[in-house]
Amino acid sequence: MSSNALCFGHNHPASGAPCFVQVDAAGLTIIFESTGGGGDREVVPFAALSVSAGGLDHDHLVVKWTGVQGEQTLYLKDQDAIRAFRQTAPDDLSLHFAQAAELVRQVRQRRRLVWGLALGMFLSTVLGLWFGSDLLVQIAVSRIPVEWEQKLGESAYRDFLAQQEVIKEGPAVAALGEMTQRLTEQIPNNPYKFEITVVKSDVINAFALPGGHVVVFTGLMKKADSGEEVAGVMSHELNHVLRRHGLERIVKSLGLLTVVTIVLGDQQGLVGMMKQLSVELLTLKFGREQETEADVTGLQLLQRAKIDPSGMIKFFERLSEKDEGRMEWLSTHPMSTARAERLKAELAALPKKSPEPFTFDWKQVQASLGAQLVVAP
Amino acid sequence: MKSEILYPGAFPMVRVELTAGEHIKAESGAMVACSPTIDIESKMEGGFLGALSRKFLTGEKFFFQTLRASRGPGEALLAPTVPGEIVILELDGVNEYMVQKDGFLAGADGIVIESKMQSLSRGLLSGEGFFILKMSGKGTLVLNSFGAIHKIELKPDQEYIVDNSHLVAWSSTTSYNIEKATSGWIASVTSGEGFVCRFRGPGLVYIQSRNPGSFGAWIRQFIPVSE
Ligand SMILES: [Zn+2]
Repeated sequence: MSSNALCFGHNHPASGAPCFVQVDAAGLTIIFESTGGGGDREVVPFAALSVSAGGLDHDHLVVKWTGVQGEQTLYLKDQDAIRAFRQTAPDDLSLHFAQAAELVRQVRQRRRLVWGLALGMFLSTVLGLWFGSDLLVQIAVSRIPVEWEQKLGESAYRDFLAQQEVIKEGPAVAALGEMTQRLTEQIPNNPYKFEITVVKSDVINAFALPGGHVVVFTGLMKKADSGEEVAGVMSHELNHVLRRHGLERIVKSLGLLTVVTIVLGDQQGLVGMMKQLSVELLTLKFGREQETEADVTGLQLLQRAKIDPSGMIKFFERLSEKDEGRMEWLSTHPMSTARAERLKAELAALPKKSPEPFTFDWKQVQASLGAQLVVAP
Repeated sequence: MKSEILYPGAFPMVRVELTAGEHIKAESGAMVACSPTIDIESKMEGGFLGALSRKFLTGEKFFFQTLRASRGPGEALLAPTVPGEIVILELDGVNEYMVQKDGFLAGADGIVIESKMQSLSRGLLSGEGFFILKMSGKGTLVLNSFGAIHKIELKPDQEYIVDNSHLVAWSSTTSYNIEKATSGWIASVTSGEGFVCRFRGPGLVYIQSRNPGSFGAWIRQFIPVSE
């Protein structure tokens, strides 16, 4: 006689006491294994029982009663025992049980349906990807609310900031603030609140996180010859955010499953997955098409903001010379003369506008950043 | 299968004694040393398609090794990949445990291991992938954790909330729902708390004192980014 159920109660271990449950006309006879030959047995009439479904998949028959030892709960999973119970128990109990069984069926059915749907979506996604993956990625990205993007960027931002020295005020912060102000004024229906952080580091870099955090390293500001050059980089980075390039990358790297998930509407799952990616966000490398897009839209934005766009081109040209310093912006932004050339062509096509200078003096901003650029060995 | 934990604590090993002809399942890569009487067979549980679909959907390398004492009695030393405790459970044929996929170290021949699909939202939210392992049958089951293993005993209808990345194993008599860590999930994402499981008794929940994901993130900050 081997056990077919687990019994829980104050007198039993937390993992449940294995026991053998026998069903007959009088009710349940529960025989406990541990006591050996014929020791502990309890007979419970049907009238004392209440029945429900329980357990991880709602596939256990849960029987409760109050016995001599207080409240007792029995978990039955053995199919034979469940069948015997169903056949023998009086109708009102069977009714409860039928309801419980119905619940199980519903859960199973729903799960089968979800998996079937998932499989169907998966197959159609495979087909879809065959014909145009970028479109699907864009559809998926467009379904993600901006707030989620912000929270995602926020967590990556905090991870990053934990190890950095931030410059909170002064001419550099004011200058970047002015640039951002001029640029964002020209963005219609901007859903993002851009926050610029100046980090003290000789690294020549700047990056944007999904949702609107933009980080500029002092190294980049020291390297630039004018405010317009930095504004060019800023405009480029802002457009990575506006075009949701980070999200596109994430959705692409998470792959098919995510696309299926988002299309299915289970967007919460995505957040869980994205969370794991927050660190990777910081080293995110955009694709060539996204870079071109950020360049071109960045240039247009500069133009609208009446910031001299030739600063951007000049800066790109100088970066492509690849000289001193730790050019980290280069690692994520491979510079080529072709890139600058392309921007020159774009610029030529735009209507001429007379630029309005910034109110700050760039040399003074740079002076406030302290010592000259240290060339890394 | 007789088993004994050696060096309990952060860097334990388990010694498993096999009688002649006996065989056990072990996580691939768990074998540290063994008697010459023991043969190691790598086999894909659930057939090729099963293994493939698991690999495809979860990215895990879930292959078991079978250690078989084909040439007489012998012993094997098994160790997990990560630092952390080992716990030995005896299954009596009625108890069943769900084990997250990195938690399994070894099991006696009488232990039945099934890969089980979680419901879609559970799988996505818990970050443990879509498959968990269901352990049933009779015999010794050896689990390992990242950090120390802590056992939570739940009475019927008693509830307990566990950060899902700390889960190791739980009885199948418990049920759980996945929830946001705090009132708003947005807050939970930024506070780094992630998702939690609300367990409802009766049964046991084994948790690990360290979170592999957070540890990985912590390590990563020291790794210089090339490119
Ligand atoms: Zn870029």
